[in-house]
Amino acid sequence: MTGSCPSTLSAMRSGWMSMALGLAALAVALGVPLVGMAQIAPVPEARTPEDDYYRLIRFPLSEQLVLEVGALEMLPDGKLAVATRRGEIYFVDQPLAEDPAQASFHRFASGLHEVLGLAWRDGWLYCVQRCEVTRLRDEDGDGRADLFETVADGWGVSGDYHEYAFGSKFDREGNLWVVLCLTGSFSSEALYRGWCLRITPDGKVIPTCSGLRSPGGIGANAAGDMFYTDNQGPWNGACSLKWLRPGAFLGHPIGNRWYEVAGEVMGPRPKDPQSGSRMMVEAAKIPQLEPPAVYFPYSKMGQSASGIACDLSGGKFGPFTEQLFVGDQTHSTVMRVYLEKVQGHYQGACFPFRAGFGSGSLALQFAPDGSLFVGGTNRGWGSRGPQPYALERVVWTGKTPFEVLRMEARPDGFLLTFTEPVDLATASDKASYRLSTYTYIYQAQYGSPEVDLTQPEIVQIACSPDGQQVRLVLDAMAVGHVHELHLDGVRSARGQSLLHPVAYYTLNYLPGR
Amino acid sequence: MSLCFRAGGVIWIGVVLAAGTVLAAESSPRVLGWQPDAMRSEGNVAGGELLLGELNCISCHAPGPQAADRLRRKEAPILDAVGARVRPSYLRALLTDPAGTKPGTTMPGVLAHLPPGEREEVIDCLVHLLASTGSPTYALPMRLAAERGARLYHEVGCVVCHGPRPDSDSGHKPAGGAVAGNGHTADERGTSGTAAALPLGRLSPKYTLPALVAFLQDPLAVRPSGRMPHLNLAPGEARDIASFLLDDLDLVSGLRYAYYEGNWEQLPDFDRLKPVVEGDASQFDLSPALARGRKNQFALRFEGTLQITTPGEYLFLIGSDDGSRLWIDGQRVVDNDGVHPFQQRRKKLRLRPGLYSVVVEYFEQAGGEELQVDFEGPGMPQQPLANLLATPVIKKGSQPPDESPLVVDPDKAARGKTYFARYGCASCHTLRVGGTEISSQQIAPPLNRLDPARGCLAPSAGRPAHYPLEARQRQALAAALRFLATPPPALAPEETIRREMVRFHCVGCHQRGDFGGVDPSIQQFFQTDMPEMGDEGRLPPSLTGVGAKLTEEWLRKIFDHGATDRPYMRTRMPRFGLTNVGPLLPALVAADRDLVPPAPAITVSEEDEKRWKAAGRRLVGSQGFSCIKCHTFAGYRSSGIQALSLTTMTRRLRRDWFFAYLQSPLTFRPGTRMPTPFPDGQTTLPAVLDGTVASQTEAIWRYLADGDDAQLPLGLVTGKVELVAFDEAVIYRNFIEGAGARAIGVGYPEKLNLAFDAQGLRLAMLWHGGFIDAARHWTGRGAGFEKPLGDRVLALPDGPPLARLPSPEVPWPGDVPSDVSRQFRGYRLDSVRRPTFLYTWDGVRVEDELRPTGEPDLWVMQRTLRFAADQPVTNLYMRLAVAGRIEPRGMGRYQIDGRWHVSVRSAAEPVLRTGSSAELLVPIHFENSQARIEVTYDW
Repeated sequence: MTGSCPSTLSAMRSGWMSMALGLAALAVALGVPLVGMAQIAPVPEARTPEDDYYRLIRFPLSEQLVLEVGALEMLPDGKLAVATRRGEIYFVDQPLAEDPAQASFHRFASGLHEVLGLAWRDGWLYCVQRCEVTRLRDEDGDGRADLFETVADGWGVSGDYHEYAFGSKFDREGNLWVVLCLTGSFSSEALYRGWCLRITPDGKVIPTCSGLRSPGGIGANAAGDMFYTDNQGPWNGACSLKWLRPGAFLGHPIGNRWYEVAGEVMGPRPKDPQSGSRMMVEAAKIPQLEPPAVYFPYSKMGQSASGIACDLSGGKFGPFTEQLFVGDQTHSTVMRVYLEKVQGHYQGACFPFRAGFGSGSLALQFAPDGSLFVGGTNRGWGSRGPQPYALERVVWTGKTPFEVLRMEARPDGFLLTFTEPVDLATASDKASYRLSTYTYIYQAQYGSPEVDLTQPEIVQIACSPDGQQVRLVLDAMAVGHVHELHLDGVRSARGQSLLHPVAYYTLNYLPGR
Repeated sequence: MSLCFRAGGVIWIGVVLAAGTVLAAESSPRVLGWQPDAMRSEGNVAGGELLLGELNCISCHAPGPQAADRLRRKEAPILDAVGARVRPSYLRALLTDPAGTKPGTTMPGVLAHLPPGEREEVIDCLVHLLASTGSPTYALPMRLAAERGARLYHEVGCVVCHGPRPDSDSGHKPAGGAVAGNGHTADERGTSGTAAALPLGRLSPKYTLPALVAFLQDPLAVRPSGRMPHLNLAPGEARDIASFLLDDLDLVSGLRYAYYEGNWEQLPDFDRLKPVVEGDASQFDLSPALARGRKNQFALRFEGTLQITTPGEYLFLIGSDDGSRLWIDGQRVVDNDGVHPFQQRRKKLRLRPGLYSVVVEYFEQAGGEELQVDFEGPGMPQQPLANLLATPVIKKGSQPPDESPLVVDPDKAARGKTYFARYGCASCHTLRVGGTEISSQQIAPPLNRLDPARGCLAPSAGRPAHYPLEARQRQALAAALRFLATPPPALAPEETIRREMVRFHCVGCHQRGDFGGVDPSIQQFFQTDMPEMGDEGRLPPSLTGVGAKLTEEWLRKIFDHGATDRPYMRTRMPRFGLTNVGPLLPALVAADRDLVPPAPAITVSEEDEKRWKAAGRRLVGSQGFSCIKCHTFAGYRSSGIQALSLTTMTRRLRRDWFFAYLQSPLTFRPGTRMPTPFPDGQTTLPAVLDGTVASQTEAIWRYLADGDDAQLPLGLVTGKVELVAFDEAVIYRNFIEGAGARAIGVGYPEKLNLAFDAQGLRLAMLWHGGFIDAARHWTGRGAGFEKPLGDRVLALPDGPPLARLPSPEVPWPGDVPSDVSRQFRGYRLDSVRRPTFLYTWDGVRVEDELRPTGEPDLWVMQRTLRFAADQPVTNLYMRLAVAGRIEPRGMGRYQIDGRWHVSVRSAAEPVLRTGSSAELLVPIHFENSQARIEVTYDW
């Protein structure tokens, strides 16, 4: 038993630290703002053109409140729930205050094992921890969770740090989706590592997809279909957004040993893909294989794709209604994704959206007012944003940027829709565009360079009468390739260049005539 | 086919020709650099010049000074100690028929022109001469060593030159771990890889195990020209690889020990230690230490092979002071670790007849020291485990047996000396006998006066040296000789570089421009400890622009010592020797001089130096560019991948290159994961210094130039994050050692703590004092299991906490029966955050409440378990303790192992069972579908 008198320096130091922690604990219990506690140096402000259209509101950070955001959720009473990698859940009062220093943080729960999913339903806060889905409730009304009920824990954990579990919001059937990272991100040493599971309202586990590698986030589109981001590595040439089509095999075969126990719902185990081939070649041979919907070309569009959120604000977040927003943890950005369905499969284009977040963007969450919360952490990995953690809010200024709104595939080219009318001269000029295509080697080795380069020619350009659409006709469509389109020469009718003059379309399937 | 005949009182064993060797035609000399099609093209002067050096032509035919710059001699093996290195039977076979004995050898036959009788006599005398330099010792390889060697061989780089093994020439089955593949691909690019490797074939006719080990430890001592480089192998590694290469010999050999010195509190990681001494042992005891008079602070590791002849159950007992561990076939069987007085642990295994590797690890800190490793088996009473050690068994007729040493005839050896000088051996081979080097008596015309139609190049067996050259080799040599008849021009730097890269087969690992690079057929052998680094972590770096990248100091260091800058890369950069590859240095510098623009010259005054270094320090740290997230720093690990050290950068890299690289890593290393701190030419941290790329790069450079003396950057060293319960309990759910991956730790204000295992649904540990340090999981990536922070850690029984026993005598199940359903249901917190755990077991709902109780300084943990079931429940027991001794103290109190107490209040009387260990069980007695038990732990 330890004595009551600290006699060593470290004991004294930990005593001071403990007292400071205790004060902070008291503060958060009372729900006071943390301005005044030891501050983390804010990100130096440097204005960028993006600020004119989407500004960043940064919550001030303190060293005591370690906001390594793993998940976010809006609560019915207007508070923002923030869950962290340290297993804490804070409720933020006045999260939409124009001056974020007015927001106060109150700790609702702690002691959880790394929360990477939060969803509210019927008075319970559901969280996805490393080893289970737990729902929490404050029974005695003191503002802190008292009941931690295990909803489902039907997957394995071996003790490896990389076995992350991300959780979605509730889908239309009331299920929660959980995506499980591989052991070490390389193998599958415990049950259902590398799989997506659905958790029913009564806690049953339904194996849903196989072939995952290292998820960074999960979210649904406007139609209610679920997607997740996977990271460059074995069998993943670049980071990508993948459709969690129930029954699908999403590319990485090492977790397929669990087909033995998955039962009828997943059907027979798919053939192993041939390493060194191409995704669409293998997809033609393996019916369960679902190719990535959108690639984020490595280093051009980030290096570590993360959280997903869909703009359902009906216009409060600008022109990109019903499009997806995806974070990148390394580049500290949020990217934008437009999806369409071709031959029954999702595919589409990604565009840069917003850079300059304070830490590694991880969790995305839209607020009722149409603003977008972005929570970040870079512990264990590097990020451009220099802060160890961050909580920020992206607010549309009301000014619409000149951007490619949509990029849709056609049998012989693309249809571009812009956010405002284009200048016909520059938009019709082939020299305004630069197009190249490439794909990735689908292989067991880590990642892949861009290969099979082609440079199709634009043979014809047609603009719509209202000037808002441009139809590009190409001399060839490279099926299975990312089509990287630069639009440096295109101007709006008002003479502006595009805010982000580049788009990357993943053309897995060619639309019919 | 083997030839075995007796002559001169010695059993001669001829060469065993393996399947696949063509017997009719002799194999031409095999030179790695010669194999690509481009080299072998008709009349290729460069190919001929390569061969002039590799075949040692210029040892006899002196080149002029300009020609010498273009040719480099591959010196023949130094024979000063060859008697100890090579078996005499092999020496004889090699001298009789070099190309037949060692297909592809570059050693010519120099005695072919002698009449047969005379030839035999000369060979005999030469053998006696060489055997007079020493005689080989014999040892048999060990199984575990050969298995490790198989991995090492395929990992550290041997495959790049020698190909994967087994190969078509070796004709034997692989030891575990070897990968199939013949290393032959059609080489259309003409410059890279191991399209034709130099397979080693069967080495046991030539080398004994100790001889091959000695050779591998310093190849340059025997073959100074560095074509086979020095791999910087640790002695154990050399033995492992040699064991693998000789694994056609028998793989059993008793017991070996390795002895270490150091101060440990638990068994160290032996892989990271260097032994003080190693040797053969006949039993598992402490004599290696005691013989040195050492009684404290040492460790021993024994490795051997057990032979099991009778199948059945074997009980392994290991007793020690201090800690020990026993491994059988790679599985940890008994863990008896820790600092403790003599204590014994035991484990039963069911074994079938066969061979098993055994490893015993032991350490002694202080005080008494003792080690006892015993076993019991079917029909075998307890006895030392050493009695089960396998003894060497010679397999019948499959490989050369140990040879008795050749008895050297001094007359023959003296005649051999004469022949050595006369027939040209001394022209290529250094041999010092009695302190003096034998000098050659051969006279040969200088290189520029050779007639390609005569001498060694004549189509018939050449004299005086017979090289069984293939036609293309002849043509290339002839072309080279014609070219060198007049003084040739100097080589341009890039040409020099290419020639050296071909000569030393750098191209097998390294690419330079579009030249060289790892052949696809052996890609898989390049492995890494950091798979997350992708190909960057496993494939050797490109040499494009390396003359502009690395400093001369560093290049010299790499050439002379090998490189250790990338410890995660399992393929090693070996030591070629500065004298051998030195010419590369000026060539690289000259060729790459202008590849990188000069970095801006930035002067910083002495007063400002400190500020700039501080800025560099800020930029490198976790709130700057976060370099330390990936790169190691002065021996400190990074939190993620362990990329090259930051503190050697300024000695390793040229400043100009550093500036250019930081702005666009991808330009210099395509596919790198390294991000740029200056995307689009702008810094992400405009507030540091003047916010320019040049200043910030300079600041980083100056800061890193302090090397290991640099002040540590922010975020490198993190302290404890002790979780303390003040007035409320604190919960920590994470990987806790002793409680599993679904562990829930609880720290109470009374300074009692527990860990609950939500997988096994059991209380796993109790301890006093500090709760837990969260730093492991809350800094960096958070890998591993954390131990309790405090003291007096009490581990509660493993295995199912509850079980249905038909009667109280039935043994407690080792595992939960598959028909028993269990589910963790979470926990409820009271007003001061103390949890009550909820779970169901076989239809019974359990509420498990844990609270400290008692008085200050005398707190005990009170556990109240409430059971509820809808169906009637019978025969349900809870197991509270498993120990050596459990003694009832009355009133429901029990003393455990004389050290701690447990008190039980329950409706039914607890059951105390004795046997090999004592168990305390409590029957769960239900009334009105409910039951309740109170347990108090006082430890």
